[in-house]
Amino acid sequence: MLEIPAQIWQKTKTSYIWRSLFRHGYPDSRKNQSLAVFTNVFLHLHPVKVRRHALAIPYTWCMGGLSFFLFLILTLTGTLLMFYYHPSVDGVYNAYGDIKDLETVVVFGQLLRNMHRWAAHGMVITVFLHMIRVFYTGSYKPPREFNWVIGTLLFFFTILLSYTGYLLPWDQLAFWAVTVGYEIARATPFIGDEFSFVVFGGFQLGPNALLRFYVLHVVGLPLATGFLIAIHFWRIRKDGGITGPL
Amino acid sequence: MTTPRGPQPFAGQEKRLRLLAFVRQDSVVRVDKRVEDTAMVWPHLLVIEFIAAMLWSIGLFVIAAAFNAPLQDHATPDCTPNPSKAPWYLLNLQELLLHMDKGLAGVVVPTVWLTFMAAIPYIDRSREGVGIYFTSANGKRITIFAAVFATVGTFSLILLDAFLKAHGYIEFATEHFPGGKQLLPNYLIPIGVMIGLSVLLVLIVQRLYAANTREWMIAVYTGFVAVYLVLTVVGTSMRGPGMDLFPPWAVPSTHQCLEPNI
Ligand code: HEM
Repeated sequence: MLEIPAQIWQKTKTSYIWRSLFRHGYPDSRKNQSLAVFTNVFLHLHPVKVRRHALAIPYTWCMGGLSFFLFLILTLTGTLLMFYYHPSVDGVYNAYGDIKDLETVVVFGQLLRNMHRWAAHGMVITVFLHMIRVFYTGSYKPPREFNWVIGTLLFFFTILLSYTGYLLPWDQLAFWAVTVGYEIARATPFIGDEFSFVVFGGFQLGPNALLRFYVLHVVGLPLATGFLIAIHFWRIRKDGGITGPL
Repeated sequence: MTTPRGPQPFAGQEKRLRLLAFVRQDSVVRVDKRVEDTAMVWPHLLVIEFIAAMLWSIGLFVIAAAFNAPLQDHATPDCTPNPSKAPWYLLNLQELLLHMDKGLAGVVVPTVWLTFMAAIPYIDRSREGVGIYFTSANGKRITIFAAVFATVGTFSLILLDAFLKAHGYIEFATEHFPGGKQLLPNYLIPIGVMIGLSVLLVLIVQRLYAANTREWMIAVYTGFVAVYLVLTVVGTSMRGPGMDLFPPWAVPSTHQCLEPNI
């Protein structure tokens, strides 16, 4: 009797389809562990081996990894939110009404919104902590100078992502919080009016600003951030993995 | 013996993994990984990543189930809440706005800071202390000193500003300062204070702790982090209506619509 599942498993593993998916055995030997990492598109972000030191949680606090993880969660929950959201200020389908619907009508809508919101706050915190750990461990030093520069940009983009998202519910909180930023943009030396006109689509916060922030929030900034993250990770590999005592 | 040409491996790391047989490794990658002292990614790293991801998923789920994201009334341009605040991670800038020209605080200072931050590795180039928290015992002392210096300094400046404003500083400046309340109070004094205190910090740590480049960089960066945190805390929990300063436990609630007489 008991050999039936074992036989099925054996059959599956040697079947044509299975072997088209996986080109190595179960990763319980060094060879298969290596193959598992570098034949898998997701795992191949990693090298096959890392310095033992790199595994120490007190060293990295996992903050870079968790920033990335939150970025993925935000992409996922954000995409789901997009199914319910219209970036317009009035009309039958409008932003504020959509958020209300998420809270009252959509099944698990409130949970979805909460997750997106808190993950966004969390990402600002994790990125900041990550930057702090990278600084204090001196991990920006050669050969990692340029990756630190990429990191600075990532910090900036993370804040921009959070800020553009803040406007989208179009409630009092959103409107006036973003107004503070608008006033700042207008006070930019020399090009204040032009700059704020381009970013906010007018001389006051209205439908154009909402649309611009929406497009930036769901397309422009995530793409740019994803692109930078890809370079960031690539550079970590090319710079010999993460730092440790020499 | 001839001296070898091209970039040389860092001292002590001549023994390296060679990935490409025909390209000098230094010309493509700069690896400082030694062959020994490694762990397999599968399973050792992946296990950590998996557990971290699971714990955070659960944590986020619990938080999202317990706390609802805020949603207020529909946006109304005619109804200004007092105070109107930016999201907390920008309240540091909003706090800065209260003490100087808007464009200076909101645009110039962050731009200069981000540029400076990106430039850090090009100023501090030694490889001393890579991978060691605070580099050395001296670095640790400098971190603590700079944190205290910046925290106390920032709080004092905020209090001083509140005190002066309460005693007619703005009116006085408008009448008696060259350029009125714009030139000196809004531009020159804040710029002077920001640059002056940073330079002072560097000079002090060079004097007291004989700081080298890495170490004074630690001082400046720590100072930034401390100022950033202090401004965020003050902006978030000590500013009430009119953006006046209150102790954190006595901040009046926000007036939902600005009315001239409250
Ligand atoms: C979206 C934001 C970011 C993500 C997802 C991210 C992700 C990561 C990850 C996964 C690592 C591997 C080591 C670790 O976890 O600590 C790393 C390393 C690194 N990060 Fe980031 N990072 C981000 C932002 C930043 C920022 C803001 C900076 C600095 C300004 C930065 C600079 C670096 C540097 C220099 C390394 C190499 C560290 C070493 O070799 O020890 N990153 N990053």
